[in-house]
Amino acid sequence: MAEINVMETIPEKMIIPLKQHNGDICEPLVSKGEVVKVGQKIGECPSEKCAAIHSSVCGEVVSVEESSHPSGNRINSVVIQPIEETECEDFTPFKDSGKEQLISAIKEAGIVENYGTPTHLVLNPPDCDIDTVLINATASEWVGHNYETPLEYASQMLDSLRLLMKAAGASRGAIVLRNDDKDSIDAFDGLDYEGKTIMVAPLLGKRRVGYYFNDQNTDIIVASQDKIYGKNIFEYFTYNVTGRKVPFRCTPANAGVAICGVKSAKAIHDLVNTGMPYIETVVNVSGQVNNPQHLLVKIGTTFRDVIEACGGYSGEPAKLISNGVITGVAQYEEEVPVTKMTTSIIVQGKDEVLKDISKDCIHCARCVDVCPVDLIPNRIAALSNQGRFDECRQMHIENCIECGRCSSVCPSKIHVMQLIQYSKEAIARADEDFSEKESSNIKLGCSCGSE
Amino acid sequence: MTFTISPPPHIKQDTTFKKITWIKILALLPVSVVSIYFFGLYALALILAGIGMAIVTELVIEKAFNKDITIMDGQAVLIGLMLALMLPAEAPIWIPIVGSFFAVAIGKHAFGGIGSYIFNPVLVAWVFLILAYSSYMYPVSFPELGGISDIFLENGAGLLIGVSPVALIGGLYLILKRYIEWKIPAFYVLTTLVLAFLVGDEIGHVVTGAFVFGVFFLATDSPSSPVTKNGRIIYGILCGVLTVIYGHFANYIFAVFYSIFLANCVTAFIDTSTLPGSFAEESFLQRKYRKIMEKIPIERLGVKTDD
Ligand code: SF4
Ligand code: SF4
Repeated sequence: MAEINVMETIPEKMIIPLKQHNGDICEPLVSKGEVVKVGQKIGECPSEKCAAIHSSVCGEVVSVEESSHPSGNRINSVVIQPIEETECEDFTPFKDSGKEQLISAIKEAGIVENYGTPTHLVLNPPDCDIDTVLINATASEWVGHNYETPLEYASQMLDSLRLLMKAAGASRGAIVLRNDDKDSIDAFDGLDYEGKTIMVAPLLGKRRVGYYFNDQNTDIIVASQDKIYGKNIFEYFTYNVTGRKVPFRCTPANAGVAICGVKSAKAIHDLVNTGMPYIETVVNVSGQVNNPQHLLVKIGTTFRDVIEACGGYSGEPAKLISNGVITGVAQYEEEVPVTKMTTSIIVQGKDEVLKDISKDCIHCARCVDVCPVDLIPNRIAALSNQGRFDECRQMHIENCIECGRCSSVCPSKIHVMQLIQYSKEAIARADEDFSEKESSNIKLGCSCGSE
Repeated sequence: MTFTISPPPHIKQDTTFKKITWIKILALLPVSVVSIYFFGLYALALILAGIGMAIVTELVIEKAFNKDITIMDGQAVLIGLMLALMLPAEAPIWIPIVGSFFAVAIGKHAFGGIGSYIFNPVLVAWVFLILAYSSYMYPVSFPELGGISDIFLENGAGLLIGVSPVALIGGLYLILKRYIEWKIPAFYVLTTLVLAFLVGDEIGHVVTGAFVFGVFFLATDSPSSPVTKNGRIIYGILCGVLTVIYGHFANYIFAVFYSIFLANCVTAFIDTSTLPGSFAEESFLQRKYRKIMEKIPIERLGVKTDD
């Protein structure tokens, strides 16, 4: 397990966006000149599809204004000038009082999955019953703590899983590890928990979690599988782990599955034990910085301050990316804050920046061979390019998990994944009640001011 | 500070079409050198004529139609070289010139350029040459096929490519390095050898320079072969079957060229009929089973089903 350092320096300016999730933007509760405390709620939810926002520092509100956001848009944000002393809200540990309270506490604490859905919606979706909770630990995000021993980490994760199951009213739960993540597997394997010995169960072929629940005669298991990464992996992940197919235009919730990340599981654990809302997160800083590391930062710290805390740039930076080189978003400027959805910051130097010109597809089938969900990316891309979205549908475009492998291997440097995203977006928009999406790099339709 | 903005992914593999093509050309160098060694400088002249004309044609066409000049991606060179290697050592010098012109102008550009052409341009030109000038296209001496020595060095070979199947070992390197994909060659070779054995043809007749060349360089030409996983297997098998059919009744050297050319015709059909289903979908048999079960009115028969 990688070491996690805590960012000690206090930045001059914190930008806390009033929207750090997919859904509705929060209404500010503070105005210019007010003094806020650590953990004070500064953004109130106007609706269900929302998660509250808290201040992560003590300081004076400089302004409430539109400011840049790592998704690439400008979002109303509270700008705070921190002061030296730290004055905290009184955090009270959560008193065990049932599912409803737990859900509303999670909502109040503003806990959000790193893919953007507020956790209370994941655990308690409208009109769906959850029977299985999965903690997806395959992406190896890091939890904000240095554990004394790996065992401590493992049992805390299992405690979190219990909490999640309780909040969701689910009868079964599983933690899914990556099968090449030796550290975590070792931590869990052989651990005694609630009088039972945990064994890490490999998900192979038709042996999915259902099999192990019965086999080990338990309601909590730890499983391992191949690494899956990508933006929309949830349907595929659900299928891989539970064997349930998520119907088109549905979410895993429709199949009775809730998927949480390691970070939000940890945040819920903290909430219950200390009462602390979601105000800090671990960011993995890598690339052209002097001292790459995992850093625990307060939400709202700008990328510039984070990079300074990592020893500054080494060489001239040319590209700043949030959330991964494969699916992440390139940033316009450094003055953009870390949000609840930020998992990594990557700096690329001049020679790493790609300047490719797309050529014609040579049908080399490399993209077909790498696609984890058995699509024919080159054909879908060609159809998208011509606007033949119906035919894209027939080729199961909705399965694409936006992992970017196809674009990355293409010798003709075709922007395969963009074309697929474009067409997915168009299909989603054809749907009347399409849910609003963020941080997609493509905007369709009329772009003359209406967006 | 200014930062570059671009859509993801922000890293890519450094393999480019250009790189793949030039490495293929490199892989063909050994066999070219061996053929020059056996057939003398005239073979070099044939090769140079082929390459030269291919480049000139590409240049002229791209200039004339205001396209980007793509000489540097190496495809013209590759086409010219491959075509020259497929000729008999005694071919008159204008044969590769006409052939290269035909390959690039008709085979490649008239069909819409890279990515659009349906037939391998080299084979298009070869078929054209053999139909139009068949008397020049037959080697004076068909090599004595059969001996093990043929596999290594064949100084009596008719075609330049026939001199040494072993010199084409670069093809294996291409597969190992994944510059060409393995399914088509593997299934092609397997099918051919098994079928040839079944019909009783001597393996030495089958494994010629032309065959190895066809397997590694012609059949794997990506624009004219299928992209689906199953499609590539079917394509490989089809090439093998056609090669044996033609080769058993005529000769295996031309069989290779004809069979790949014919297989090119059905590439699009193979692709369309082997599109994979959704990842969680039922398999072919399950689907059929469900279709049949749906037709049976189980409810009306009074049988209770729990779904
Ligand atoms: S189509 Fe491309 S981005 Fe989508 S799942 Fe396949 S490889 Fe990944
Ligand atoms: S990898 Fe690129 S060139 Fe190759 S088939 Fe896919 S889209 Fe075409």
